[in-house]
Amino acid sequence: MKRVSVAMLFVFGMTVAVSAWAAGPRKDGRPDGGTVNYGEYGRPATLDPVTSNEMVSLRITELVFNGLVGINEKQEIVPELAERWDVSKDGRTYVFSLRKDVTWHVRPGEAPMPFTADDVVFTYNVMMHPKTITPLKVRYEFIESVEKSDDHTVRFTLKRPILNALAKFTFKIIPKHGPSNPAYLTREDPFVRRPIGTGPYQLKSVSGDGEITLAANNAYFKGRPHLDTIVAKPFADQNILTQALMFNAIDMIVLVNPRYLPEIQGDKRFVLQPYNALSYSFFGYNLRNPLLADRRVRKAFTYALNRQEMLDSFFNGQGTIISGPFAPGSWAYNLDVAPLPYDPQAASALLKEAGFSPGPDGILQKAGKKLALTLKVPIEKESEAVKRVVLAFRNYLKGVGVDIKVEFEEWQAWKEDVFFEHDFDIIFATWVFDDSADISSLFLTAEIGPWRNNFGGYSNPEVDSLLMEGKLTLDHEKRRTINRKLHAVLAEETPYTFLWTLTNYTAYHRKIRHVAIHPYKFFSYADEWFIEP
Amino acid sequence: MWPSTRTSSSRTRTSGSLSLKGVPRVARVLAREVAVTALLLLGVSVVVFAILYLAPGDPFSLLLEGQMSAGVPGQGVHEAMGAPKEWHARYLSWLAGMLRGNFGASIRTGLPVLEEISRVGLNTLLLTLGSMAVTLLVAVPIALYAAVRGVNRVSFPLTMAAYVMSALPVFWFGYVVIYLFLHTFGLFPLALGSPGTGQGPNRLYLLLPIVVLGLGNGTLGEVIRHLREEMGRVLSEDYVRTARAKGASVWKHAFKEGFLIPVTEIVASKIPFLLGGAVIVEQVFNWPGMGRMVWQAALDRDFPVIMGIAVLAAVFVRTGSLLQRFVYIAVNPGASRETAERRAA
Repeated sequence: MKRVSVAMLFVFGMTVAVSAWAAGPRKDGRPDGGTVNYGEYGRPATLDPVTSNEMVSLRITELVFNGLVGINEKQEIVPELAERWDVSKDGRTYVFSLRKDVTWHVRPGEAPMPFTADDVVFTYNVMMHPKTITPLKVRYEFIESVEKSDDHTVRFTLKRPILNALAKFTFKIIPKHGPSNPAYLTREDPFVRRPIGTGPYQLKSVSGDGEITLAANNAYFKGRPHLDTIVAKPFADQNILTQALMFNAIDMIVLVNPRYLPEIQGDKRFVLQPYNALSYSFFGYNLRNPLLADRRVRKAFTYALNRQEMLDSFFNGQGTIISGPFAPGSWAYNLDVAPLPYDPQAASALLKEAGFSPGPDGILQKAGKKLALTLKVPIEKESEAVKRVVLAFRNYLKGVGVDIKVEFEEWQAWKEDVFFEHDFDIIFATWVFDDSADISSLFLTAEIGPWRNNFGGYSNPEVDSLLMEGKLTLDHEKRRTINRKLHAVLAEETPYTFLWTLTNYTAYHRKIRHVAIHPYKFFSYADEWFIEP
Repeated sequence: MWPSTRTSSSRTRTSGSLSLKGVPRVARVLAREVAVTALLLLGVSVVVFAILYLAPGDPFSLLLEGQMSAGVPGQGVHEAMGAPKEWHARYLSWLAGMLRGNFGASIRTGLPVLEEISRVGLNTLLLTLGSMAVTLLVAVPIALYAAVRGVNRVSFPLTMAAYVMSALPVFWFGYVVIYLFLHTFGLFPLALGSPGTGQGPNRLYLLLPIVVLGLGNGTLGEVIRHLREEMGRVLSEDYVRTARAKGASVWKHAFKEGFLIPVTEIVASKIPFLLGGAVIVEQVFNWPGMGRMVWQAALDRDFPVIMGIAVLAAVFVRTGSLLQRFVYIAVNPGASRETAERRAA
């Protein structure tokens, strides 16, 4: 990830030219043809890039659409629909020159339509329209306006210069003639289920039980993709999904449940390929509870947990123990801060220092008040491993004399308790990041309040000023230094007990070759995959 | 259900004595039942809506859920989607739409609810009716044999096996069956529904969940017990003894009261259980039915879908009990007069 930023700085403020690809078959000597059936856990609600907000949909939009720019396997920004761009000196104007050889997927009974600047302006306007409901809106509020200069040039004006702005222009472009409503996009528009794009694959059909068939786009501007067909098959059960792979009913699982890794690992037919996830799990504390307001108590809890043992036994060791608030795959992560070791003695000592002494029942107490806390856990689709983690948490803390009551709650009820009522002592949860590594909403004092992300009520002027400074700076190295400092401070303060980032695994049949995977969008490089005949 | 029948029937009777004179009794019964059904559906929709409204969570916030954001639920989304804020306005607009045959659109998928439900409802209907047929195919021979021959070396183990089968939780039974088919018989496509070539589901595959639900839904034992007792009782009735004495067909005489009535009774009363079992079986077998849809909708608080399915499920259940009633009256025409007299008294 370090390389990303370097690459971005390099392109910042200068013009990049690209060698043009030609539409038609690729001349890389790899064979065309074949079908890849991949299994997904769950089915997507919508398939367009604007209204959809599930990972299942995101992966499909990656095959069907393109952005102005893309990110290559080395995490560098590369041209896609835009062949080059100019950035003004003050960093507020971005002018993109668009490719002239791109056409939209053709719907039956329609003439082929070229991709133009109008489509870019249209996409932005649809995204920001008040009647369009999309999680993307907040991400693009930094843009002030978009204008078409000519058919193949668009000019974006930013409200203020921001760091790594170019990476934000990866948003997918939709055709002006696509949606039936010319102003905004809702989930009732037929386009969200039958979208057309410019990407390597074109949506062919969606069956009654949710099977999605994508066919190779012969006119793809980077050259026709090698695979003829990609089929997404929905499953409602992880176990059956794994069995489907073992019995060759599908060729690929996007995200293997850690529980089934050993079964697939032992089979020579399949490749297990790891990819980094920008997410981490943690126990978060409610600092409104006076017992937890004491940093020593939170730190003692962290000492009391054998995180490596939990990771090994519940997730087959497939992950990394972390010490601070960034995903270890991110450039912001500070490797100099080591995770606290498992040390129950240190935990007991800290709790003693904080004024707790064992009561008659073995539970620690201070001034007659027991150290008894409630841990609230959301029940998610796949909660088995989560269950084991929280029960282990309870047992570890029992070992040092802390009484934890575990309460499982349905997802929406849990959200309301945590983010709105603030009625909890400890939670178990996972943050999933996009590429920005922006953690300001998690720990800013200004983010305390109903439905804000600082659910624990953490407030520290030093952290506040570091977060604000990091947000405003345009110097990447400076921002890195700030984030490293933030990491160290938050590791010491322990508003969360940071646990781990799990390694994601995809499993696929050996016959599929040249498989490169984007850690988040997955299919970004699928146009180069091929099947060995 | 009975108290509500009674109150509404008294209402029909007061107006019926004037305008319904001369109308055939069957039509009057039918009219009454339809009125009751309408009231029942209204009640179901109110209760379901109230539960959804009081439950935590907001269906609209789901649409904005991205990464890294808790977000105020539905901030601005209600307005953008034109959904009223107050609960009564939301309910009334739903009701007004439904009365015009418009069940609204799913919040999550944007698809029209009625269309979606009728698509998956057919699958569920196939699953429940099919499984009921399986239950009867297994239960009826055992019950009849036991009723005629009593407890003996054949009927006892069969009955016990059926009881054990109905005691098994259906989700567990489903997994066992899938594992058997996968690992012992190696018949994967049968358990998964598709040979992996992008073709549609294998027809044979449909049999597996139907059989699992038919055997495992817990009604097997009850059908056997009920039918055996009723048949046994009828067989010892005087008229059957007379029939036997004069050499007439015992089966013909005992059929209506000892077989038809108990079977329809139990089928009608078990429809709700079948629908409940279907939710689980659909999940296990990846069956695209109503159960899976309502499960997803419940997680999302997608109220138009939940309401639509609740109303449809109520229609299923009500239709079942109506059918049972009509069979009862058809078999025993005195019954409708009897009940009418009992009510008048």
